[in-house]
Amino acid sequence: MARSLFLFDMTFWLYLASLTLYIAYLFARRPAMALAPAGHPVEDFEERDGAWATQLGQVATLVTVFGWMVNTAALLTRAFERLEHSGTFAPWSNQFEAMAYVSWAIILGYVLLELRYKIKAIGAFVVGIGFIAMGAASLLPYRYQTAEPLVPALNSYWIYIHVSVTLTSYAAFAMAGGLGLMYLFKERAEQRGSRSRFYAAFPDLATIDELGYKAIMIGFPMLAFGIILGAMWANYAWGGYWSWDPKETWSLIVWLIYGAYIHARMTRGWEGRRAAIYAVFGFLMVIFCFWGVNFLLSGLHAYA
Amino acid sequence: MNSRPETLLEQDTPRTPAPGVGWEEFSRELVEFFASIKLAMFLFLFIAITATIGTVIQQGERPESYIQEYGEEAYRWFLRLGFTDVYHTWWFTSLLGLLCVNSLTCFYKRFPAVWRSMKQDKVSVSLGFIKGMKQQAEVTVPGTKESIAQQLAQHYVAKGYRVLAKNEGAEVTLYATKGVMGRVGAHMAHLSATVIVLGGLLGSYYGFQEFGVCLEGQTYHIPRGNFDLKVEKFWIDYHENGAVKSYNSTLTVLDGGESKMTKTITVNDPLVYKGIWFYQSSYGDAWDQIEVARLNIKDKETDKVIKTIDLEWQKEQTLADLNLRLAMTDFVADFAFNSTEKKVYSKTIEHANPAIKLTVNERSTVQATPWIFYQFPDLFEIKDSKYQFELIGYKPKKYTGLQIAKNPGINIVWIGSTMIVVGITLSSFIYHRRLWTKIIPSADGVTVYVGGTTHKSQIDFQKEFRKLTQTIRSFQA
Repeated sequence: MARSLFLFDMTFWLYLASLTLYIAYLFARRPAMALAPAGHPVEDFEERDGAWATQLGQVATLVTVFGWMVNTAALLTRAFERLEHSGTFAPWSNQFEAMAYVSWAIILGYVLLELRYKIKAIGAFVVGIGFIAMGAASLLPYRYQTAEPLVPALNSYWIYIHVSVTLTSYAAFAMAGGLGLMYLFKERAEQRGSRSRFYAAFPDLATIDELGYKAIMIGFPMLAFGIILGAMWANYAWGGYWSWDPKETWSLIVWLIYGAYIHARMTRGWEGRRAAIYAVFGFLMVIFCFWGVNFLLSGLHAYA
Repeated sequence: MNSRPETLLEQDTPRTPAPGVGWEEFSRELVEFFASIKLAMFLFLFIAITATIGTVIQQGERPESYIQEYGEEAYRWFLRLGFTDVYHTWWFTSLLGLLCVNSLTCFYKRFPAVWRSMKQDKVSVSLGFIKGMKQQAEVTVPGTKESIAQQLAQHYVAKGYRVLAKNEGAEVTLYATKGVMGRVGAHMAHLSATVIVLGGLLGSYYGFQEFGVCLEGQTYHIPRGNFDLKVEKFWIDYHENGAVKSYNSTLTVLDGGESKMTKTITVNDPLVYKGIWFYQSSYGDAWDQIEVARLNIKDKETDKVIKTIDLEWQKEQTLADLNLRLAMTDFVADFAFNSTEKKVYSKTIEHANPAIKLTVNERSTVQATPWIFYQFPDLFEIKDSKYQFELIGYKPKKYTGLQIAKNPGINIVWIGSTMIVVGITLSSFIYHRRLWTKIIPSADGVTVYVGGTTHKSQIDFQKEFRKLTQTIRSFQA
């Protein structure tokens, strides 16, 4: 147990470091776009500054990838510990592990996004949410962090697939929420006519918007799949595929909220600001579904 | 899901003005309303909001608990609005029904166009149509219209597009399309809502869900399946640290007097016979019988324990040395007496005040049937008897709680579920792209007019389009 907890701890600190580096990168970056209209003459100054930012960005990516690898190692170690303990290995069997898995998925999603689109500025927001997920997990009391054997209702192969799929969809929605937040910051700065290089380093609004939409397009079918896997499991364990248990109902509510978003996207006017606010709101609902329901509402799904 | 490309196409064919408000007009408006995305959004959000009610207010509780928590006035409103069973109220069900109508009408209105574009597409478009598109470009390259058309068509095919071409004397028109399955997927998801609801309805009309408390060794008749179920055994497995590992019941199905199957069910592994599912749902201590009772037999005069015996359920035990015959004939977990019927019964299923009924036969002269209380050892005394009996412990008999359910609609629900997952996945990851190209000979070769639409993923499409124009520029004569 100590081994995996040490690794989880290390993940937390590495994510903190990478978040700090991404923020530093934003401050250090001096985009040509912001300087061009000013027509500043000191060109080599700008170059030096840019180089600084490039290095910071590279270090940030390296630290993030390393943190993600440690996160992976932590989950694997936990899986082995579980296997010794109770014969099942799913390293997402309690609230703590689930949070650690969500942050793993968020960071993986971010790294893939960075590789594909080469936009590092997003790190400050998306890695930020991954870090908060990991941080919230480590704030849980110790008894929630250890790998207790599964209660009989959870002891099933369904846990491998239902839980991982659902949590991955949460991670996608978390990314969309982070991007929505980023959009709102950037838009506000633009409206104020801010010349801050911090905001100028962000990708343009249309890109943030589209990426946020993409994240939701990944999360939406995954959540549907996760809910249906849950229904199949319930059919095996509870004697009915749907019993309007608070957790089931809330996951459906979240799904409906994103369903409305996806349809809204088809009509005009639901891009940009509105969509960004909606993505943040949707993510808050996901947080409630994930945490709020477990701690505030009672039901069959009282475990994570 | 795909209003934008549709409206683009419709600009081509001017509509005839509507002739007043007739039935045609009305039914068109009706279809328009029920197929609208606005209605879909409204329903999604309204169902989401109303669904929260049942997660905040406990469902299906007894009236007293609502009155205690919310007050009488609030409870009256709850009843009026159905808040104690929100998900089965007429209005919530109607919302789900409306969602089905909405998605079906959308399918009816929009799927034919998707179907047509799968089968046959509109190749001939006007130049103005191409120029009016969001993504459009105009490139002049050397070469003949045929050779450029050929190169372009090959490029499209290499990119996975389906290409249709038309050579009309003065110009060549190419139409390329890809990813129509994304739109088919969306419609598959639309149909799935109705399929799932139908499966649910079928289950609630022709299925059932019951709960049975079953004791080990007993056989129960299952009238709905017309067979018997024998509960052989119930036990609990533990982990090393004492946590419960699994609850197990061994069940045997007896059909027509024959043993058909035996299975040990656990929480995640039910028994299925003739479409009826038996789930391990709960367990507990029986309230009307026990396995063994431990009794102290005391001498009344000396008040000393002479002997401690374990008495089995309804089995007479002879103690020759004490000249006693004893039997335990009854048990209640929570003793209560009905004075009008003069009957002893168990007030609750909790073991709050357990007592056994003893049949005492002493020297064949004293006969008595006293109730012996676990908590009140001195309550009863048998006159003329030399002995005092004390119940010092007992081993309860476990019952296993079985959920018994049949759901004939379940496979339809799974079909609908598959449709929704496959449908949404297709529509999320595949997007429909359409490109129209006109190649018209000009002074320095040919001018290629290209325009395209997609119903989503604008950024990716924009990138693809930019690459496409570069490719066209690189074409050689």
